[in-house]
Amino acid sequence: MARLSLRVNGKKHTVEVPEDMPVLWVLRNELLLKGTKYGCGIARCGACTIHLDGRAARACTLPVAAVGGAEITTIEGLSEHGDHPLQQAWIAQHVPQCGYCQAGQIMAAAAMLKTRPRPSDTDIDRQMSGNICRCGTYPRIKQAIKAAVAKGGDL
Amino acid sequence: MSNQAPVCESRREFLKLSGLMGAGLLVGVSLYSAKGAALTAGSSAVEINAFICIHTDGSATLYAKNPEMGQGVRTALPMILAEELDLPWQRIKVRQAPLDDRLGRQVAGGSTAIKTNYDALRKAGAAAKAVLVEAAARRWQVPAAQCVAKAGTIACAGKVLHYGEVAAAAAKLELPASPRLKNPADFTIIGKSTGDVDVGSIVTGQPLFGLDQHIDGMVYATVIKPEVFNAKVISFDGREAKRIAGVIDVMKISAMPNPTVLVDGVAVVATDIWSAFKAAKLVTVKWQKPPAYIKTMQQMRSLLAAASDSGEVLRADGDVDAAFAQAGSEHVLEAVYRVPFVPHTQMEPINFIADVKAGSIRLLGPTQLPGPARAQASQISGIAEENIQVEFTRGGGGFGRRLYNECANEAVYLSQKLQRPVQVVWNREADFRGSYFRPAGHYKLKASLDGKTITAFEVQSSTTSRDLYARRDKTPHRTEAFPDQQPAGMVPNFRLSYKALLTNIPQGALRTPGVNATTFAYQCFLDELAEKARMDPIDFHLQLIGTENRDLAYRDHGGPSYNTAKLRGVIELVRRESAWDSPPPAGRRRGFAGQMVFGVYMAQVAEVSVDKNRLRIHRVTCAVDCGRVINPSGAHAQVQGGITDAVSAALYEAITLDDGRLVEQNFDRYSKLRMQDSPPVDIHFISSDAHPQGLGEPSYPVLFPALCNAIYAASGKRIRELPIKRHGFTV
Repeated sequence: MARLSLRVNGKKHTVEVPEDMPVLWVLRNELLLKGTKYGCGIARCGACTIHLDGRAARACTLPVAAVGGAEITTIEGLSEHGDHPLQQAWIAQHVPQCGYCQAGQIMAAAAMLKTRPRPSDTDIDRQMSGNICRCGTYPRIKQAIKAAVAKGGDL
Repeated sequence: MSNQAPVCESRREFLKLSGLMGAGLLVGVSLYSAKGAALTAGSSAVEINAFICIHTDGSATLYAKNPEMGQGVRTALPMILAEELDLPWQRIKVRQAPLDDRLGRQVAGGSTAIKTNYDALRKAGAAAKAVLVEAAARRWQVPAAQCVAKAGTIACAGKVLHYGEVAAAAAKLELPASPRLKNPADFTIIGKSTGDVDVGSIVTGQPLFGLDQHIDGMVYATVIKPEVFNAKVISFDGREAKRIAGVIDVMKISAMPNPTVLVDGVAVVATDIWSAFKAAKLVTVKWQKPPAYIKTMQQMRSLLAAASDSGEVLRADGDVDAAFAQAGSEHVLEAVYRVPFVPHTQMEPINFIADVKAGSIRLLGPTQLPGPARAQASQISGIAEENIQVEFTRGGGGFGRRLYNECANEAVYLSQKLQRPVQVVWNREADFRGSYFRPAGHYKLKASLDGKTITAFEVQSSTTSRDLYARRDKTPHRTEAFPDQQPAGMVPNFRLSYKALLTNIPQGALRTPGVNATTFAYQCFLDELAEKARMDPIDFHLQLIGTENRDLAYRDHGGPSYNTAKLRGVIELVRRESAWDSPPPAGRRRGFAGQMVFGVYMAQVAEVSVDKNRLRIHRVTCAVDCGRVINPSGAHAQVQGGITDAVSAALYEAITLDDGRLVEQNFDRYSKLRMQDSPPVDIHFISSDAHPQGLGEPSYPVLFPALCNAIYAASGKRIRELPIKRHGFTV
């Protein structure tokens, strides 16, 4: 067990957990942030995508001790009022079906837009292909990303 | 969403409080009181019927009766209620009803929610509106016929009341059995694209799913599943596992005679999920393999091939043998089609919570069949069904997988042993090993042509059987062979035989069960016949269907009949919208398939190119006739999702076995479609005011033949066994 200090969604938390516990389970079990999902546990499906200092990371294989002082952002902290342009676009375009993968999809898209604010179709395909949507909402995800980009705002 | 107190004062409690319980009043068991949940004292809302609560501010809470897992019924079913209640959608809140016998069948399966609830929910909404109007009329002392309800208000001669002002009085009135329904021309909610009621919660990561739920004092368990399906635990060693911090116990779970209730496994119980997952890797289990287990897929294929020769004849029209003899071998075509085992791979791994107390159980989690979850919990625990409460959460995908409540049963078993609430969570590997696969099948097809006309068509088929696997032996052909599926009824000589096989490999229902295999086989073979007849595939289908407007018998799911004019309608629409009659862009070719599926008419054209075995799917065009559309955006999503799901299964999906052990146990070795290979899907609905049908499944099976027929047109290669990637194509 280790006593660790974490910065999550702008707030400081102290947790006492095994050092090898993946960030996913620290978020879900210790901080009760359930938006980050368990899908595969081997970083292949993207349901657990979070931001580590603004870059996309897979929380299911990231040991908590490796986070250090990096800032963790989860879907709950992507925007203060749930109104990030991507969240708004997801609502407007009726993207989710079951919805289980969508937090990871939004976090992956948000990380992409930080480095590529005007992504091409190929950029979107490439950057988003780490995230599985088993309901097959890919066309609407793509449409929502494009709508958010077209609308602008604080991406 | 599941732990909230009820918002609504129940009608029964309300009437009791009002001293009006008694003769002639139409009241059922209240939504919550029977299960012991607290009723809100001094509630500001009143229950008009089991589905509808009216708040004093005039807004309403509507109960969604069926499980939601992405098919959109938690939005679409309340839309039907709201329409007849005549309350604007913005004034509606939707809550998930628990398992409640007053609400009728609560099931997610067979694309049935819309078609089986449409009339009843319209009536429920209209009856509620009728008593609200009646209450207002009594207050004003005018005949109800002089009052007009619209958008949540009731008006008469210049006076206006909103629903909240008369709800308490309305709750005391008898609900009419045959309320007047709206003229569909006046619909304002049905037919309007509406976002999922949970979308705001989904995009902000709120705890909607089974895995997100928690109840006080709960511990977690994961289950080690047999490596060879239906192996038995001889012994296990949990000592290493118990050294992991947080681990509480390691326990055996024993199979029940029906393996869809429980199979053997070893449960690791801990204070958190991750510790249970970690400890499970340290448990060593000695397994006893089943006496005759399937060792390889090659063996499975051979068994199916052999069995297909000895099937029971399920339909025989005319004289197939005589027709083949008369045609002569040069006019006879034969081909064998095969489908593999496919797991569901829903994104939210299987999980369920049970809290077994001395004489009661609370079950909480994602299930497509809450009723059987209650029955099986009773069977396992010995606790009477009336003392078992079932709440269902949003499911992170289902596709048929959550028709099986094995995990809920494990939770009941463990909670009763441990005397505390338990959430069982399968890790992804357990989820794969605990699969209920789409049955594998072998379809030997033979047909004769007289010029451009099919004179005889024969199917000799065999599949592994989900009926036999669930130990139901009454009519084991029921779920995998469909005697009336086209071209049956369209050709003079037709014969279908089928043999069901039972193996150790778990079998389940996956999106259009059975039909997703037969449609692939039949519609690809029809494409082969069109080629042999030197006809355009769509012309060939239209000729087969005929120009008469007739109803053909269909004595399976989606029946009792289907209409040939409607089938032609979607085929002609997809022909137009896909520009079938114009040459495709350079290098591309098109393939067609079209059929009635579960009461919906569905036709698709896939457009592909194959360049040195590199396959690209450029576009799928789809035409749909599902009767009246409740939520156009939701309907579009289901059709598009079904096609995308089928592209994934067609391209990649199959399992392999190594001495009976499942080789693919996670998304590293098991491929799913990703965005970069997901084609644009162009969907066109026939405008219709016919009774609405369900759309969760019907687009799925038709894509397989449309795609494989396009690949043939582009490459000259017939895909007669799925998946496509095994035929040397790269994607």
